[in-house]
Amino acid sequence: MPRRSIVIIMFLTLSALLTADSHAFTLHGFVEGAYGTRFDDDLTKKDHYTLGEGRFQVKGSYSPSFLDKWYGEFTFKGDAYYDGYEETTYGDARTAVLSITPHDMIDLKIGRQVLTWGTGDLIFINDLFPKDYISFFIGRDDEYLKLPSDAIKGSLFFDIFNVDLVIIPDFEPNNNIKGDRLSYFHGLEDRIVGDDVENDYKEPENKSKNMEAALRLYKNIKGMEAAIYLFDGFYKDPLGVLKATPTYRFYYPELTVYGFSLRDAVFGGIGNIEAGYYYSREDKDGDNPMVENSYFKALAGYSKDMGGDFKVGIQYQLEKMLDYDDYETNFPGGSGKADEHRHLWTLRLAKLAMNQNLTLSLFSFYSPSDKDYHLRPQVSYKFTDNLSSTIGGNIFEGEDDHTFFGQLDRNDNAYIRLRYSF
Amino acid sequence: MKRILTFTLLLILAPSFLFAMTADEIIEKSNIAYYYAADDGKATAKMYIKDARGRERYREITILRKDIKDGGRQNYYVYFHEPADVSKMVFMVWKQVSGDDDRWLYMPAIDLVKRIATSDKRSSFAGGVFTYEDVSGRRTIDDTHTLLREEKINGKEAYVIKNVPKDADVVEFSYYISWIDKSTFLPIKGEYYNKSDKLYRTIEVEKTAVIDGYPTSIKGTGKNLETGLETTIEFVDVKYNLGLKENIFEERFLRRPPREIRK
Repeated sequence: MPRRSIVIIMFLTLSALLTADSHAFTLHGFVEGAYGTRFDDDLTKKDHYTLGEGRFQVKGSYSPSFLDKWYGEFTFKGDAYYDGYEETTYGDARTAVLSITPHDMIDLKIGRQVLTWGTGDLIFINDLFPKDYISFFIGRDDEYLKLPSDAIKGSLFFDIFNVDLVIIPDFEPNNNIKGDRLSYFHGLEDRIVGDDVENDYKEPENKSKNMEAALRLYKNIKGMEAAIYLFDGFYKDPLGVLKATPTYRFYYPELTVYGFSLRDAVFGGIGNIEAGYYYSREDKDGDNPMVENSYFKALAGYSKDMGGDFKVGIQYQLEKMLDYDDYETNFPGGSGKADEHRHLWTLRLAKLAMNQNLTLSLFSFYSPSDKDYHLRPQVSYKFTDNLSSTIGGNIFEGEDDHTFFGQLDRNDNAYIRLRYSF
Repeated sequence: MKRILTFTLLLILAPSFLFAMTADEIIEKSNIAYYYAADDGKATAKMYIKDARGRERYREITILRKDIKDGGRQNYYVYFHEPADVSKMVFMVWKQVSGDDDRWLYMPAIDLVKRIATSDKRSSFAGGVFTYEDVSGRRTIDDTHTLLREEKINGKEAYVIKNVPKDADVVEFSYYISWIDKSTFLPIKGEYYNKSDKLYRTIEVEKTAVIDGYPTSIKGTGKNLETGLETTIEFVDVKYNLGLKENIFEERFLRRPPREIRK
């Protein structure tokens, strides 16, 4: 694991810099234990649980005086954890980045960093940065939904608009559901599988031609936030089939996305709309059943503060498969055929109580077209400024095996986390 | 002769007549003195929250403020240092003269700029007794103000003003009484009464200082008499007229805190 060596190198660098110069330094972190149990026996590696780990996170930032002129800052965040499910110890550098402002109008962030943009709440249209859906579905902190990228982010600030350009030289995929921990629908097997099916995933080669780029032009017009997005790279999920025998081999096809978003205060709350056109470059006409078709995706959201520390947010998303006729004609068979339109609703309810030390929340996904849903109830309590606990669940239900949440039907789980922050 | 008498009387009466301030003027002046001192400012606030059972919480934030117009629009940038789980989080407010304020929250762990719905300004700021309105100011036009009397409190001459909300449905109090220092126009004390006319919340300024020529409250305590919750705020490193640029209060500096936070 190269990540482990990054952690060690960053630690050493930081401590070396620290001893040389103690100018502007911060250090925080936490120790956490987490356990998650599953409700159904499954085909996964371990039947009775989904999550069991001890985690240590340390994060710090450091502004050496020799970078004062450029307002330079090193930021670091690393996780070391023993994953009982995998029976392995991991070291992950989540952030190891240098931020500088070489000019009044320019910011640069170079290194490993978590990147987020777009307006959706747990729905991502123009945010094509890598995500970890396994962490998301087994009850790790929401922070772990986002995976870091090794990237260079350049930002330009003009009077008329601002520009963010992110270059990702080495492809980083989503941590997609693979069957060892969460069972899922395997289109080629045409059934729900666990770790009984062997898959192989081929990432794009690390060469300059395969560099990914994400661009955002944005502007805040008296409170209305407008943005235009462009992404050029690869699907973050393995949505292409390379070969089906003797083992399944998937890959990450080329993808271009054009999109926009708007967000502003409306009707006493916050409203947002966002849309994106997913252009599947390896299946331009939609007639290749081995590669995902192009899509049009759009969402509209509204959130409101109901008073008494109670907030409500609602979203609707439409996903329309393009060239659906060609898809239908060339569909190889099986039960996993997608609909042309997928409609998805989400509802977030969040309430703070007991001097804001208790948080009750429920996030729900519901798709009337897929006839499936996913519920995420969560209760967390801060015993002190340092000690907190979170209890929650992930519930999946669906009429069909092949829909996004329906396939996860047997992965219902409940989890508890106990965290000490410092 | 009669005319001369009238004129003399006018001369004698004029000063008190001309210079007596109305309740509206006092509140307006107090609002400027407390929330709009100088053109901009910076302070680090140490907040101690203690509940009825004596359990303590601590928050430390640095606040940058810039006035667009005195008594009108202004921007706030709030950077969290403590507790650890919210360290480096940023909260930003564009305070508006009419309609809801604009608020954003930046969560560094996931690099997320979140827009927050803000209809309820009476909700607690960071879990303490102080509300969002206490921190960034309640619009003076939201209440009708009546000067009740003038009296000495905590060794200071003060105006005592009753403030009644114009829209009683959106606030939890039925009215509040403010004691305002006649010389500095800083608030000395506030008493909040609930719908059954019972005192349930007090705010008291415990320490003031003159910083860069501006009288400044540097320590205050809020108490919720119903829940027993207490919150003390101390302001340190207070500075005025830093020459903050307006662009600090934009998304760029949510994602990358400005130099002024560190200095």
